[in-house]
Amino acid sequence: MSWARGWCVALVVVVYGVSPLSGQQAVATATRERTEYVAWLTAAPNSPLAAIAQQPVGAGIRLGPADSDVPLEGVGEHRAIEQGGAVSLEGPGGKRLLPRGRPVAFGRYTLSVGGPAGRSVLTVFGASPSGKAPEHYPLDPRAVFVGPLAPPSRAGTVRVLAVDGVEVEAAEAGSVTVPIGGASVRIIVRRIPTAAGEESELEIFFRDGTNGNGTYPAGRFVSLLPQGAGMYLLDFNRARNPFCAYSSAYPCPAPWRGNTIAAPIRAGERYLGGGLAAPAGLEAR
Amino acid sequence: MRCIPLLLAGLLGAISPPTPAGEWKAVLDLAGGELRFGLRMERSGGGWRGELCNGTRCDQLSAVRQQGDSLVLEIADYAATIGVVIRGDSLTGVYRNVGNRGPRVIPLRASRGRWPSVRAPESLVGRWDATYLQDWGTSPRVFQFRNGPAGLEGTVISNTGDYGHFAGQMAGDSFALAHFDGSFVYLLTGVLRGDTLRGVFHAGLRTQTPWIAVRSTGAPHLKPPTEITQADTTAPFRFSFPDLDGKMVSERDSRFRGKVVLVDIFGTWCPTCHDAAPELVRLYRRYHGQGLEIVGLAYEVTGDPEVDRRQVRRYRAKFDIPFPLLLAGINDTEAAAATLPQLRGFTSFPTSIFLGRDGKVRRVHAGFYGPATGAQHERLLRDFEREIERLLLSR
Repeated sequence: MSWARGWCVALVVVVYGVSPLSGQQAVATATRERTEYVAWLTAAPNSPLAAIAQQPVGAGIRLGPADSDVPLEGVGEHRAIEQGGAVSLEGPGGKRLLPRGRPVAFGRYTLSVGGPAGRSVLTVFGASPSGKAPEHYPLDPRAVFVGPLAPPSRAGTVRVLAVDGVEVEAAEAGSVTVPIGGASVRIIVRRIPTAAGEESELEIFFRDGTNGNGTYPAGRFVSLLPQGAGMYLLDFNRARNPFCAYSSAYPCPAPWRGNTIAAPIRAGERYLGGGLAAPAGLEAR
Repeated sequence: MRCIPLLLAGLLGAISPPTPAGEWKAVLDLAGGELRFGLRMERSGGGWRGELCNGTRCDQLSAVRQQGDSLVLEIADYAATIGVVIRGDSLTGVYRNVGNRGPRVIPLRASRGRWPSVRAPESLVGRWDATYLQDWGTSPRVFQFRNGPAGLEGTVISNTGDYGHFAGQMAGDSFALAHFDGSFVYLLTGVLRGDTLRGVFHAGLRTQTPWIAVRSTGAPHLKPPTEITQADTTAPFRFSFPDLDGKMVSERDSRFRGKVVLVDIFGTWCPTCHDAAPELVRLYRRYHGQGLEIVGLAYEVTGDPEVDRRQVRRYRAKFDIPFPLLLAGINDTEAAAATLPQLRGFTSFPTSIFLGRDGKVRRVHAGFYGPATGAQHERLLRDFEREIERLLLSR
């Protein structure tokens, strides 16, 4: 079973008796999600647009004074350390534990700890999101595909950077084969754990013909959305930038081997400059 | 003249906001299916009060605010909100919770009324040994299904406890049960074919895990909770954390000396802990006179002592908890383990640690089988009582 554009969904319904979203419905859902995501980007205290530093906690990070690892104006000397997998912040006011994956107010700054225990990463956010508001290509029903997920050629996990630049243990989930630009393109899919309970996302990190010419040079992420009965929705309208596009505080994920689409995909989030350009000679994983 | 009252009524109807009062059949539209739950709202003083229901089990919403045709339902325990617009007999909006890689948002809709009560056939009722088929391997679960006052209900049990009360429906050989408490978004869908169940466990908006289940034979399918978390039993168990007034409390305090102590590791964000709390209060009231002390170690969400203290105070008031609750840290298993270095393999909220009169660990129980597990719940309570009675008798 190969992948089909959104308008072929009616046929899928007949064959499998499931009710996946049509291209138009998928676009409506994508619109809603896009609005929420843009609101989060432009207003949340942990928006990547507000990020000013991200560092592995390692042996400890000094924050505050001008000569520290993370200079923060108006902040006395503090030290973030990791012990037994827990990250705490020590300063003149005492010691406090920093929860993983949640924003914590720190004067006029916000702190957030990510990453697995032993490899914790601290991100520091400024007072408010700065930089340009994110921009998107117009929603396009032709960028919506439906099809099955083929099993991975080899099972197992691989360490990759998630969209927020934090290293995670991702499971090889398989691949999808999509007709784009007159060619069948096989795209690797991985399951990226999220912070909450049993939840995770099927993610694709891909490059395409628009990178550096309309979209972020290092590539973009897009989630593969399960539709039931073994079918999945790949909607490039939902393609989004890695957080390194919003702030140079974040490291950029290395492109995933094989996930390069020659054709331009003019759907999803665009890139307006700022942040980092794709470093030369990235190692594919 | 007779037209004037009608005109006034029409005018008032046009300008007064639609009422949210009554029962609502609500749906979270997950990627793989509909998660059904109930909402109830009624007048309270000048405003509204509301409840979120899974079948007949309802929890009060912390606040309901109406502005025109917009309604915001707050679930403060989990820092979540439901924002909807009322249009006549329907609600449309989203359930929203903060995430670290973007907002956690799930579309929500509701219509007036109550979900019908649908009983399950005997061929589905009972205990099933399930296997989750994940990308990286398999993982055991137990499903328990029964018929309750609202029809099909049940729970899902893992190695460390249950996921709370699930309520649902059956149509033909297909069934769907859901649990939504404002934090956990779980939907279990499946099909009964002969003596085998197959289906999908949905978590959050998109995570879908296929599973297969067969009738339980009674042989152990899950790992016993006592095998999951272990502790150093050679030295007295040490803890030292501030209480809700900021006063440090430790195992060396006179109230614990020579007593049997049950240390409850919990979080106000943890639904299973909410199931355990009333039972711990009951155990405390029953055995305190004979020498039982209980102390709750709270691992909270924000890491901000003021905010977390407020949350734990609310929890203490909700369950009328008479024993001390201490602010131990944040709700991260690694962080919690770091504050209690004598524990090994700590993974689960709640975890109950039984200390003998010498202060040494006698037993660690990871997780808690809530009332939704029926017989498992009763068995666990009897087991806890026996353990406490045994420790009270020993010197």
